Amino acid sequence: MRPLLVLCLGNEVLSDDAFGFRVAGMLGEMEYELGKEVEVIYASLAGFNLLNLLEGRKKVLIVDTIITGSAEPGTMHFFPMGKLIPSRNLTGSHEISLPTALKLAQLMEIETPEDIDVLAVEAQDVQTLSEEMTEPVKAALPEAIAYVKGWTIIGNQEISSDGYGEKKSASS
Amino acid sequence: MKQILIDPITRLEGHGKIHLFVNDDGSLANAYFQVPELRGFEKFCVGRPVEEMCRITTRICGVCPDAHHMAAAKAADAVYGVTIPSAARKLRELMYNAFYAGDHTTHFYALGGPDFVCGPDAPPAERNILGVIAKVGIDAGKKVIAQRARGQRVIEIIGGKKVHPVTSLPGGMSKRITKEEQQEMIKIGEEMVEFAKFTIKVLNDVVLANKAYVDLILSDTFAHKTYNMGLVDANKKVNFYDGMVRVTGPDGSEHAKYAPKDYLSYVAEHVEPYSYLKYPFLKKVGWKGFVDGKDSGVYKASPLSRLNVSDGMTTPQAQAEYERFYETLTGDRSGKTPVHATLATHWARVVELVFACEATLMQAKDEEITSDHILDPPTGIVGEGVGIVEAPRGTLTHHYKTDNNGIITEANLIVGTTNNNAAISMSIKKAAEGLIKKGQEITDGILNRIEMAFRAYDPCFGCATHSLPGQMPMELIVHDAEGGDIIQTRRRN
Repeated sequence: MRPLLVLCLGNEVLSDDAFGFRVAGMLGEMEYELGKEVEVIYASLAGFNLLNLLEGRKKVLIVDTIITGSAEPGTMHFFPMGKLIPSRNLTGSHEISLPTALKLAQLMEIETPEDIDVLAVEAQDVQTLSEEMTEPVKAALPEAIAYVKGWTIIGNQEISSDGYGEKKSASS
Repeated sequence: MKQILIDPITRLEGHGKIHLFVNDDGSLANAYFQVPELRGFEKFCVGRPVEEMCRITTRICGVCPDAHHMAAAKAADAVYGVTIPSAARKLRELMYNAFYAGDHTTHFYALGGPDFVCGPDAPPAERNILGVIAKVGIDAGKKVIAQRARGQRVIEIIGGKKVHPVTSLPGGMSKRITKEEQQEMIKIGEEMVEFAKFTIKVLNDVVLANKAYVDLILSDTFAHKTYNMGLVDANKKVNFYDGMVRVTGPDGSEHAKYAPKDYLSYVAEHVEPYSYLKYPFLKKVGWKGFVDGKDSGVYKASPLSRLNVSDGMTTPQAQAEYERFYETLTGDRSGKTPVHATLATHWARVVELVFACEATLMQAKDEEITSDHILDPPTGIVGEGVGIVEAPRGTLTHHYKTDNNGIITEANLIVGTTNNNAAISMSIKKAAEGLIKKGQEITDGILNRIEMAFRAYDPCFGCATHSLPGQMPMELIVHDAEGGDIIQTRRRN
């Protein structure tokens, strides 16, 4: 169990929703640069199903798509989710939102990370079945990669400074 | 025209719109539910090998990938004209029942349950799984989490991956099961059956012991006397994976029983000019609009429908629950008299949950599932195939045509929720009637009533978008029935 997780979400056949999938692919090729404390996972999951991936992690960065409608497609948004009060609504006809899932984990005494950050690209099209992303979203890939690299550098520093790496074996 | 948008609706995936058309006197002229559909699916399939569909279709719907995996596998078997080995069929069916055991659990506790456990008038902020756990206890919450994990583990063992199985292919299965894996699944099955018993107790204590809830379930507000559709086995018992499609009328008499390949002789799709949604109906009865009764081709396909078209369940505890269900709601434990109360769908789902858990245990014990003979590779090609399974939300149809190399030339899908489009619109209309008054603000209370009407169907938008941190928007739009102008829109967070 590596303490730092970059969790890329999405759907590789749904236009811009493939963003997380592409980011995970690019990160996979530079794994040695990210350090041995970092794990990269691509998952086409939501809510409840993410809990077992988050369990026992120290810090998590979720890479995903979002449509806020208030920004140009390709804009990167950063949400430090650790600061959010869990939404009490359910997202899916069959899933619950991540904040609700985390609140649930807390109730169930499942150990989840204190810090979950979200990096989401403003998507243009997440409804058309296609293996191609739209141009502005595709153009945002390098920025996302740079951001993830920065996030892992800070994460690695924090882990080494709080001695978490030494305690890792006991907690994993 | 008057148009109200509800935005967003809780516990729904993707984003949809509810349109209400209101006459000048304030009465409701029409109501319909509009969901976004994945555009371009047929085009996306064309030119791909049919065996790829088992994997790709798990991506078109983030809600029930396992159902698509199965329907696609069965359609691909038919395209190649292969009958899969008995062990392969047993593995698929076991995996599918385990999927149901997890899926129905989620719905009962996280999605449908809150209306009952927390109460239909509880504020939305309290009507969710956290509210359920506050009421039934942390221990119940832990049981639910564990039950979901069990279903996923069986899918992982047989399907090769959690959530998105990959092992079904034309002619059978690609992965054998070891004796150790079988033992693990037997243990999981035993735990599932215990969980099913626990769920029956929750249903009894929290829902059925409360007369107000039983009255609500049986109230006319939430009833529609339509046809019902579902798969049945050779003895007319409920089967999720395979069988004949049986359709019964509002009085319970048989309208049709047909093999999946003949579906186009029985089902047609009606199109309304104001919506891109299609409304499937029974061809031999005809489309008579959004109305109940024997002369209207509207049908429902849901857990309640499956119970209504069947003569019972093939496992003991589920059969006992089936009898209790009909005894309580119709006074006839045989199930010959159909139940039309939409909200009874939640109870029907629990009966099916019990069956799925018992069936998982029973099938896990079958010695044949560790057989090496799990694949008979295709040797010829038919070039066309239909696969039908029961998805949790209703009858799911995959229909492919291919060239002689198995490359898709045409695809058609009727997904679970689509079957219920007309019935959902009717339920919304019925719930909204008398609540929507001209010039009056739409309140949260009204929205809750309308939401409850369609939440019973557990509608799913085949839409795998993630939304953070809240949800995708849902809008309620009130139109003026004369000119179509928007009078009011409602958005809610």
